[in-house]
Amino acid sequence: MWYENDGKNMDVVLSTKIILNRNIKGFPFPPKMSDSDRENVLGMVRQAAGSMDLNFVRTDELDDAAKADLYNQFFSGYAFLNSDAKTGYLISKTEGLGVVINNTDHISIVSMVPGTDVATAYKRADELAVKFEQSMDIAYSDKFGFLTSQIKSVGTGMQLIMTLALPGIEKTEGAVNVLARRVEKYDWQLIPMTHQDGIRESGIYILTNVATLGVTEQEIIDKAQKVQDDIIKLEKSCRKNICTKKKGIVEDQYYRAYATLSYCRRIETAEALTLINWLRLGQDYVDTSEANLDWKKINKLTQKVRRNYSDSAGKGSRPKDKSMARAALIRDIMKGGQAS
Amino acid sequence: MRCSRCGAQIGNSYVRFNGVLLCEDCARELKVDEVFRRQNSLFDQAFPMLGDFPGVFSSGSDLDFANAKIRCPRCGTTLRELESGGQLGCIECYNTFNESILKDILKRQGSSEYMGRKPGEAANIKLNTKAEAAPSDDKQETAEAAPSKEEAKQPETKQEDILEKVKDADLSGFTDLEIEDAMKKAAAAEDYALAVKLRDELKSRKEGN
Repeated sequence: MWYENDGKNMDVVLSTKIILNRNIKGFPFPPKMSDSDRENVLGMVRQAAGSMDLNFVRTDELDDAAKADLYNQFFSGYAFLNSDAKTGYLISKTEGLGVVINNTDHISIVSMVPGTDVATAYKRADELAVKFEQSMDIAYSDKFGFLTSQIKSVGTGMQLIMTLALPGIEKTEGAVNVLARRVEKYDWQLIPMTHQDGIRESGIYILTNVATLGVTEQEIIDKAQKVQDDIIKLEKSCRKNICTKKKGIVEDQYYRAYATLSYCRRIETAEALTLINWLRLGQDYVDTSEANLDWKKINKLTQKVRRNYSDSAGKGSRPKDKSMARAALIRDIMKGGQAS
Repeated sequence: MRCSRCGAQIGNSYVRFNGVLLCEDCARELKVDEVFRRQNSLFDQAFPMLGDFPGVFSSGSDLDFANAKIRCPRCGTTLRELESGGQLGCIECYNTFNESILKDILKRQGSSEYMGRKPGEAANIKLNTKAEAAPSDDKQETAEAAPSKEEAKQPETKQEDILEKVKDADLSGFTDLEIEDAMKKAAAAEDYALAVKLRDELKSRKEGN
């Protein structure tokens, strides 16, 4: 998976995701599309992508395992697992790069990288976008830029989404509010992450751009780097502050979390994420010599717990089986094994 | 979430009126704030609803009750659908729901002038190496660093510079005081077009808040 690779600042920023939305002239936007329109768009996009070295799949022809795989790679939301809509995917050989067809817009280019490498993520997506724009009749106006089905992304059609793990800020009183206001000044948004079944994912936040019209792509990326820089600074200082002032408590919680995750036999997502949150808080600032953990393992753990929809304990299985499968996966990662 | 009337960030309390999200202040101005009043006040006034309703129609020019009737001829999306979900049906919608309507909705995005790249041309993205530098661990500094830096810069700039800056830049990046200052200077320099633009910006800000 793309998120298992190394990235910059991965102790705070889990991943950076760029979405570029484009639409084809002559068709209504996906929410208003008829089945024949959808077929046509799927065909046209597939043809245009012929020379781009992308692997085409149709959602209505995918089996459950393949759907779970796309879901686990963060290409699609939870609803996709049970959907038979006429959407399609073009998956690149480059990990974390792909195109979603007919979802919210005709063409949504998705590019995900671990850590904070915004420029790389954007360049990869932009390369594909330019090729589509050259070979297809893309909806564009001089006034509004790229026309998208959602008003909020009209203009550059670009959404920049960063997934952040902020245990330090979350556990410092009032710091989340300070940060949220700060981010607003840059015209960005900080949203707490919620799991598909409504559970708060503790310590995990989404940072996303608001303005897409009246700004250039370069400005969005520059701002992203400024905002992320501020957040990383603040988060690290919060972690350091807590770990010096409440050293005993953090160390205790760190090892409790470590032990539970290492030996549990059944565990729920929410609990696991709360425990991982303690690991993230203490990792750099308390004595962790007895624990066999590094950032790579913690990050893998975080992402796997957030998205581990496996076929064996997936659709139709009882909650008990799921929590057992989850515990087994976590134990395996804690031991340093290569869990799928 | 943002108020669709003034564009301000909405806190805990808001009103969804005709599918339009309003903040507490706007709801009060449009007199649709029943939810925020205490039980008692309802008893104090006789027929508060009846009394307030004409006010909604007269002052609520933003809330067009004909919303459901304005629809895109090609895909049938109504203005109300658009205002409640921000979802358009087709490219034609961008013509149907003309500029003034879109502008209102685009308020939260700041400027409404497209600045991005043209289709088929790659954007030249340069890496900001400074931003990549390793962050330090000082808390006090981080809490105030970025805004104070920006603010510190402004007073240093000379009069002409402010005018030059205001002329081309997106006004949302300036504070009210700076704009007022620049407006006076523009008037003194007999650049009335700019002064008018700044006055309008100030006016719209005051109305917005």
